[in-house]
Amino acid sequence: MRIPRRLIFAAFIVGQSLFAAEGASDPNQTAGVSFEQDIAPILEAKCLGCHNPNQLKGDFSMATLEEIQAASEEYVVPGNAADSMLYWITLPLDEGEAPEMPEEGDALTEEETKKLAAWIDAGAEWPEGLVLKEASKADENWWSFQPVSETELDSIDAFIEAELREEGLVMNPESGRRTVIRRVTLDLTGLPPTPEEVETFINDPDPRAYEKLIDSLLASPRYGERWAQHWLDVIRWAETVGFETNIQRPNAWPYRDWVIESLNGDLPYDRFIFEQLAGDTVGEDAALGFLVAGPANLPPQVGRDEAAMRGARQDELDEVVRTVGQAFLGVTIGCARCHDHKFDPILQSDYYSMQAIFAGLAYGERRHRGPENDAWTSDIPRAREQLETTQVELEALRKKYGLRKAIEDVHTDSILPVRAQAIRMRIEATGNGKEASLYEFEVWSTKEGNIESTNVALAEKGAQPSASSFALANQSRHFDNLVDGSIDKRQAFPWVSKETGPAWIRVDFAESATIDRIIWHRGSSIPAAYVIEVLPPDSDKWHEVAHTRDRLLRSDDTRKADAVHFESLDQEETQLIVRKTAALRSAERELARLSAGPRVYAASFTENPEATYLLRRGDSMQRLNEVLPDIPKVLGELAIAADVPEAERRLALANHLTQPNHPLTARVLVNRVWQHHFGTGLVETSSDFGYMGAAPSHPALLDWLAGTFVAEGWSLKKLHRLILSSKTFRQSSSPQTEALSVDADSRLLWRFPPRRLEAEALRDSILSVSGKLNFEMGGQGFDFFNQRGGLSDYLPKETFDESGWRRMIYAHKVRMISVDIFGAFDCPEAGQMKPNRTRSITPVQSLGLLNSPFVNRQAAYFAERLYQEVGDNLDAQIDRAFSLALSRPPSLNERQQLIALAEDHGLEQVCRAIFNTSEFAFLQ
Amino acid sequence: MKHFTKQARPLLDRRKFLSGAVQGLAGIALTTLLAEERARAASPIIDPTQPFASRNPHFKPKAKNVIVVFCSGALSHIDTFDFKPELIRHHGKPLPGNEKLVSFQGPNGNLTQPLWKFRPRGQSGKMVSDLVPHIGDMADELCFIHSLTNTSNTHGPAENLMNTGFTFDGFPSMGAWVNFALGTENQDLPAFVAIEDPRGNPQSGPNNWASGFLPPAFQGTPFSSTKPIRYLNRPTTISSASDEATRKAIGFLDEQNALNYPGDSELAARISSYELAARMQLSVPEAVDLKSEPEYIRKLYGADSSNQLKADFANNCILARRLIERGVRFVQLFNGAYASGGELNWDGHSELKDQYDVHGEILDQPVAGLLKDLKQRGLLQDTLVVFATEFGRMPMFQMGTYGRDHNPYGFTCWMAGAGVKPGVSYGATDEFGFKATENICTPHDFHATILHLLGLDHEKLTFYHNGIERRLTNVHGHVIRDILS
Repeated sequence: MRIPRRLIFAAFIVGQSLFAAEGASDPNQTAGVSFEQDIAPILEAKCLGCHNPNQLKGDFSMATLEEIQAASEEYVVPGNAADSMLYWITLPLDEGEAPEMPEEGDALTEEETKKLAAWIDAGAEWPEGLVLKEASKADENWWSFQPVSETELDSIDAFIEAELREEGLVMNPESGRRTVIRRVTLDLTGLPPTPEEVETFINDPDPRAYEKLIDSLLASPRYGERWAQHWLDVIRWAETVGFETNIQRPNAWPYRDWVIESLNGDLPYDRFIFEQLAGDTVGEDAALGFLVAGPANLPPQVGRDEAAMRGARQDELDEVVRTVGQAFLGVTIGCARCHDHKFDPILQSDYYSMQAIFAGLAYGERRHRGPENDAWTSDIPRAREQLETTQVELEALRKKYGLRKAIEDVHTDSILPVRAQAIRMRIEATGNGKEASLYEFEVWSTKEGNIESTNVALAEKGAQPSASSFALANQSRHFDNLVDGSIDKRQAFPWVSKETGPAWIRVDFAESATIDRIIWHRGSSIPAAYVIEVLPPDSDKWHEVAHTRDRLLRSDDTRKADAVHFESLDQEETQLIVRKTAALRSAERELARLSAGPRVYAASFTENPEATYLLRRGDSMQRLNEVLPDIPKVLGELAIAADVPEAERRLALANHLTQPNHPLTARVLVNRVWQHHFGTGLVETSSDFGYMGAAPSHPALLDWLAGTFVAEGWSLKKLHRLILSSKTFRQSSSPQTEALSVDADSRLLWRFPPRRLEAEALRDSILSVSGKLNFEMGGQGFDFFNQRGGLSDYLPKETFDESGWRRMIYAHKVRMISVDIFGAFDCPEAGQMKPNRTRSITPVQSLGLLNSPFVNRQAAYFAERLYQEVGDNLDAQIDRAFSLALSRPPSLNERQQLIALAEDHGLEQVCRAIFNTSEFAFLQ
Repeated sequence: MKHFTKQARPLLDRRKFLSGAVQGLAGIALTTLLAEERARAASPIIDPTQPFASRNPHFKPKAKNVIVVFCSGALSHIDTFDFKPELIRHHGKPLPGNEKLVSFQGPNGNLTQPLWKFRPRGQSGKMVSDLVPHIGDMADELCFIHSLTNTSNTHGPAENLMNTGFTFDGFPSMGAWVNFALGTENQDLPAFVAIEDPRGNPQSGPNNWASGFLPPAFQGTPFSSTKPIRYLNRPTTISSASDEATRKAIGFLDEQNALNYPGDSELAARISSYELAARMQLSVPEAVDLKSEPEYIRKLYGADSSNQLKADFANNCILARRLIERGVRFVQLFNGAYASGGELNWDGHSELKDQYDVHGEILDQPVAGLLKDLKQRGLLQDTLVVFATEFGRMPMFQMGTYGRDHNPYGFTCWMAGAGVKPGVSYGATDEFGFKATENICTPHDFHATILHLLGLDHEKLTFYHNGIERRLTNVHGHVIRDILS
């Protein structure tokens, strides 16, 4: 017979109730139960995950007793655990069965349920004002927050071999020299070694031959070009803004060059961090490209409502907090934007404290100081003199010809007081030839006695606007905008005429007024030639009150001389004025260009940042308390005052991160370097050292490397040498049947794990082998697409000249658009951070390598090169092809097959085949 | 042994697939990790040599495949499917309670009645406007959701949210998640196809079909009736004999190399990727070739139209059906291109009537034709058709224009076919169509429902990325059970 579940449950409660009553009567059971020490941790770990103020699962929060009791009085009945649902719902229904709660995660232990019962039976005391928080899965005792520990062993191989021994495995024998030079060259430079380099190395009798090889590779500029990409992946750096407009950041490239130069110059890593956070304090402006590497929507793409604007600002700062947290700390602080981190000991307030450090940050371009800037600056006096001379000359002409001064952006035409029922402005031409446009048109009454002057051209005063036409654009361009009283350009819109050429606007007043001033605000163009007329009361004859026929031209007036008319000047005089105006314009531009200096897309800062607030559920419209700049509590505190200068906030963060004993900074970095040498980090999740990340495969080795790295002055090149010199790196990549059965991913490093090359290394290698690689470093990138940004399609370029045969890191990086052919090789699109690339294998990759014009053209160049270098002997050609592309001679079989292919279908097909082989595409 | 592996690279998980790899080493592995895998269970395990192999859903699905018709630029619900008599009565008056509403582009003017007449359609009498009369004729097949909402009022982020579950760039699209979870029935065609509008890319562009942090193998392959797959065919300068000889040489060299690495699944996967590419070269042109479609079918879709854009879009709709017939899992069919002042998509800010008359003509008959054709072939039993857009439009005209501003507070999408109730309407906006008020739905609910129809639990389909087991539905979403048949 089936007993109804509820019945069993009821019976069970009775039983428990007895037990609870017993427990309550025993002073030893209750006396020791403290809410803070015993109960709060249970509730935080097992209940608050769902029943918190953010999630409100089951429609209630358990953060406070009030909230629990407000949800239902049955949840906690003080003095009576048996009747309290909070208690009995945590008990197993039957032996071995799971209790109803918690629904997710582990049930309460018996000890915990007893404590809970004891607490309720003792009256359910909840200390006043105590608010519980969901406990993260990892707390401050999590391994990666602990200091880097001293280790017993002191070489990479010792650590690796110790772990292997434990599994009964041994390391592979050392690879042959050919394999080693190919591996280390591809690894460090992203290019295959030349046949000459291979021959030199394998014949070098010097016992230090390998050390010399590493030194020369690290000294090559190709090293920085390869390894900079690894860093750019981590921070999803790109040269467009992302989202729908995805327009270019044309001056973002100096940051990419700064990374390459920093690596090539072995800039110590602590300095590398410091400059990226606060380079502006030492004149390293390009380094600040780091902080604005991510996507950010453009202001015009953000809605004009308050919620949209605040939300967009939060999104901008979120990108910064995520970048810093993941890149340097390997902590996903970004997860705490809306609530305390579910897994790591990062509070929501920590997130906003980190955000406050960057509250003064703005996206955009800034001056790029350095030699070029200095040269420009020293040129400023000359340009200023040029400008002043031109101004003086033009002013002399103005006086000579009796002209009035040029009109201004917000222009006042003062007139003799006149009574008017309506007014109109006839615009004959605009300065830039575009459609006539005004933001606002004000007409001011004459002050009479105590009656103040007022603007009578306002809709709210009954003024009626009209115009010759208005443009239909996405936003309002209506003539109503002329009299809406709003000149705030975020919230108001201009009137714009539908067509270019003459246009008029008119305002009819609610009642006639005596007026003496007209103030108009320019729109997207500026009226250059116009007359203003008024209609007197009870009249139908317009009466002119203002005009431009005797005004000097503005410097931005680009009309040709034959389109300009002065009432008192002849053609020659007019031409002279127009010419001088053009000279003034170019002098102004030159001075402005020099004064602004060379530009770089990098973070800039205001000295008075806005206050930062904790946001309820991350909602920018729900501000809670103000938050001060700080690091996450689990890492300590910055201890800076609220009113320190803006840059101090960032300096304090940089100082914190670069303390020699920081638990995370060095560990995270050495792990990234390890990852790019062996394909996988010691911690596989290289930007997440938290609970959701993977555990380190060799924790002691990780600590030893981190300690050594800091002790050796944070030198990346020393770290590379240390790793590359190990037997672990140099061992063969051959599989061992037994080892595979224990450790198929080779994470214990019983062999060098082979892996497919990245997109960049593959493309660069093709160009290198074909002989067409252009080694030009730095500067503006080349284009993979027919345009650099914008709303419409990006069409990939299929053929390139030399400028497109530069290394791929110099391609202008368009966010979210996959690069033709090579994008399919897991090249990140820079939408999200990508510290670990996937290495997928797909048919789309094969199609690109087989059929694209790029690869086929390079195959043709490769064939041409073979003819040039070894003549038309097929044997020699095949040999040379193998040594160039694969760093080895062909086997007998391979030679025969390829000779047959070349004889029947041409050498180009041999080259095409080689570019498509796995061996070419793999680091083995 | 210890475990320090995350599920970061499922395509490459040698451990799980060594036994299936081409050479030797059979029976290795599977031991320890499988136990772990059972615990996490619901995320798929991918065979690197067959990334698109058909995989089992979490439970018995109602739908096997999906076509999403996506109207880029924000289709006005006010002028199409969400009939509001009160709006007509209040035409020319301010929106009560929001007289000075500032929305995306600024101030709004007065309430403006629909610009097309609404009429009852089908047996259900559902009111649908004359802008989309052919779709209206299919009302009895459609399940309208009138209460969708979006968190962003900007096209890019909002389109991202509708198609990837996040407003930010760089998250996997719905099609990529489905492809990752289920693979596909036909190994010779891409599992997930994104068919662009003949006028150009949608506003969020490839992010709409991106794989995000999932392996790129799962991203949508973009092609259409007018735009072929890139590099599908050998260069015209290479003869088929040369091409074949070269491929043979590649195969030979790769096998030589693989001899040094017996059992290596990546090398095996690479060899099979060349074989798959060769099969795609045959099967894609066959699928794209519409010449075999009879005249009456072309007419049904409007592919015979003298309006070239309409004919092209109709051909895209026919292509979508042909792909589904051939076992393609997920097809995205875009209607509307990039931001263009409403000229090329549904972003009718300024001249909504004139622009929508053009766009409606292109959209209406082809989509209705697709529904009819799927139905008459019995394909609607296994295929879910989803009709979506990023948000709706305001019941007012914008101040000083003849168009409507963005409205993320309430808009209409519909579904039809496998697993959804036909001829019903779910959720509602207020009396003017301004805000969703009844059974309010988020894009996460919408996604959870689509995954559910495919037999997938949206809370269990996860992928680890930068600290989080990510989901299409973020940490939200409820299956809209009331619309399930």
